[in-house]
Amino acid sequence: MRLNKITEAVPFLAPVQILILSVIVIPSLYVVWLSLHASSFGQSATFVGLDNYIRVLTDPAFMLALGNTVLIVIFAVHLELALGLGMALLFASGLPCRRILLVAVLAPYAVSEVIAVAMWRFLFDPDVGPVTAVLTSLGLPMLDWSFEPSHALIMIGLLTIWLHLPFTFIILYAARLAIPKDLYEAARIDGATPFDAFRRVTMPLLGPAIVVALLFRYIFAFRIFSEVWLMTQGGPARSTEVVAVYLYQEAFSFNAFGTAAATAWIMVLASLLLATGYVFLLRKQVAGNAH
Amino acid sequence: MRTDKLVIGFGKTVAVVVILAWSLFPIAFIVMSSFKPGQDIFAVPPKFVFSPTFQHYVELWNGWGVFFDGLLNSTIITAGATVLAITTSTAAGYVYSRYSSRMLDASVMFLIIVRLIPPIVVTLPLFPIINAVGLNDTHIVLMVLYATFFVSLGTVLMRTFIDQIPRELDEAAQIDRAGRLTILRRVIVPLAAPGILAVAVFVVVFAWNEFLFAFIFTATRAKTAPLVISEMIGSIDGVDWGVLFAASTVQLIPVLLFVIFMNRYLVAGLTAGATKG
Repeated sequence: MRLNKITEAVPFLAPVQILILSVIVIPSLYVVWLSLHASSFGQSATFVGLDNYIRVLTDPAFMLALGNTVLIVIFAVHLELALGLGMALLFASGLPCRRILLVAVLAPYAVSEVIAVAMWRFLFDPDVGPVTAVLTSLGLPMLDWSFEPSHALIMIGLLTIWLHLPFTFIILYAARLAIPKDLYEAARIDGATPFDAFRRVTMPLLGPAIVVALLFRYIFAFRIFSEVWLMTQGGPARSTEVVAVYLYQEAFSFNAFGTAAATAWIMVLASLLLATGYVFLLRKQVAGNAH
Repeated sequence: MRTDKLVIGFGKTVAVVVILAWSLFPIAFIVMSSFKPGQDIFAVPPKFVFSPTFQHYVELWNGWGVFFDGLLNSTIITAGATVLAITTSTAAGYVYSRYSSRMLDASVMFLIIVRLIPPIVVTLPLFPIINAVGLNDTHIVLMVLYATFFVSLGTVLMRTFIDQIPRELDEAAQIDRAGRLTILRRVIVPLAAPGILAVAVFVVVFAWNEFLFAFIFTATRAKTAPLVISEMIGSIDGVDWGVLFAASTVQLIPVLLFVIFMNRYLVAGLTAGATKG
C-alpha cells in the first residue's frame, strides 16, 4: 500500500524537518554568514571575506588546539578500536554468563561526562588517588595532570576510551556474530589454523563494521568538549585546549563571534571530509569484495 | 591438548576479570565511597571494608538543595525531550518506511548529513536568539535541543523497525476505513515498540547526562543535575569528595538501572543505527 498523495505525508514529516531546519540547518548556515563578518555583541557586522578563517588558521592557540584534538582522536580512537575488537573476539569465542558480562561492559554508556570526570579526578588525584597510589607503589610515574599538559591529554584520552568503548565494542561484536559459522568450519576443514581463519575470514568480513565504528568515533571524538572543559578548562595557559574548547573561548569568553564561527565551520568541514573519505573507502571495499 | 585448554581458559578468565574491573571499578568506587565515613574516603590503600554511613547524603540534602532542584529539572527536560523525539521520529519514520520517492530518499541522506554538524556549532547563533526572545534558562530550550539532535537518528531507526512490519496490516486497517493517523497509532506503534524503546534509550541517556547545552543555555531556573555536579567539582574551597560522590551516585543510579534493564533495546539501536545510517 502506498500513501497516494504527498500532501498526506507532509504532516507526518513536518515536525522532524521543522526541528532540524530551525535548530540545526538554518543556524549552521547563519554561522557561515557570521564567519564571513567581523561582529561582536551589540556591534553591527562588517563583511571581511575569509579574514576570520585566516586569523583562526594562523592563530598559534588554534593550531595547538587542533594538534591536541588530532592527538586525542588518533590515540583514543585507535586504542579503543583495538580494545573493542579484542573484546568482541573474546566474547564471540564463547564465555559463560555472556549476557551479564555484556551488560557490565555496557555500564559506562550510562555514565555522564561530568561524573566520569569526577571519577577520574579522584582516581588519579596526585595526593589521594588510588590509581596514583598503585602507580607509585609499582615504581611508575604518576600522571601529574593538573600541571603537565601531556599527562592531562593522556587522562582525557583514557576517559574518552572508557566512556565510548561500549559503542565500539557493540558494533564490532554484532558484526562478528553476523559472520556465518560455516565459514569457520570450511576454513578448519581446509586446514586453516585459528590465526589463518582470523586473517582470511574474520578480518575481511569485519572490515565494513570496523570502518563504520572508526568513522563514527573519529567524528564524535573530533568534537570533544565536556571531558576537556571539566578536566582542565583547557589550561594550564590554554595548553590542553581542543578545537571545541577554542571555539567556546572565542565565542563566550572573548566575544569574537567571527573567529568562533570560522572555527565552527572548520569543524563541520573536517567532519564532512572524514565522512566522505570513509564512505568512499567503504564503497571501494564493498566493490572489492564483490569481485 | 589438555594443558592447552587450561592455558586458554586461564587467559580468558584473566581477560574477563580485567574487562570487568575496567568497566565497573570506577562506578563501584564512586558508589562505595559515597557511603564511606569521612577520612575512609582518602585511605591508601582504599578500604573495601568500612561501616557504611549516610552522612554525605545528609550533607547533600542539607547543603545542596540546588542539586535536588537540578534533578527535578533533569527529569522534566528528559521526559519532554523523549516524548518530543519519539513522537516526531515515529511519525516521520512511518512515512519513510511506507512511501518512496526521489525527494524522500534525498531527505534521508539529508538526515544523515545533519548528524555531521557538531552541536557546539549551533550554540553560536542560538545563544543570542534564545536570549533575545527570553527563552534562556527554560526547560523548553533544552527539551527542543536534545530532541532535535536525536530525531535524525531516531527517524532512520524507526524506519528500519517499521520496515519489518508487514504492509498487509496497514492495508487491512485501511479497508476498515482507518485513517493514516489511526493506522499509525493502532497498528504501527504497538508493533514498533522495540524501535520506540531503542530511540527512548538514546534520548533518555543523552538528555539526562548532557553537559554542553545545559552549560550554555541555563543559569539558575532550569539548571540540570550534571551542571550542579560540575559546580561541585569546580568549587573554589576545594572539592568535598563525600558530597560529590553522594550526588554522583544519586544522578547515576537511575540511568544505570535504565540502561541495564533496556540493554537489549540499546544493543539493537546501536547496531541498527550504525549500519543503517
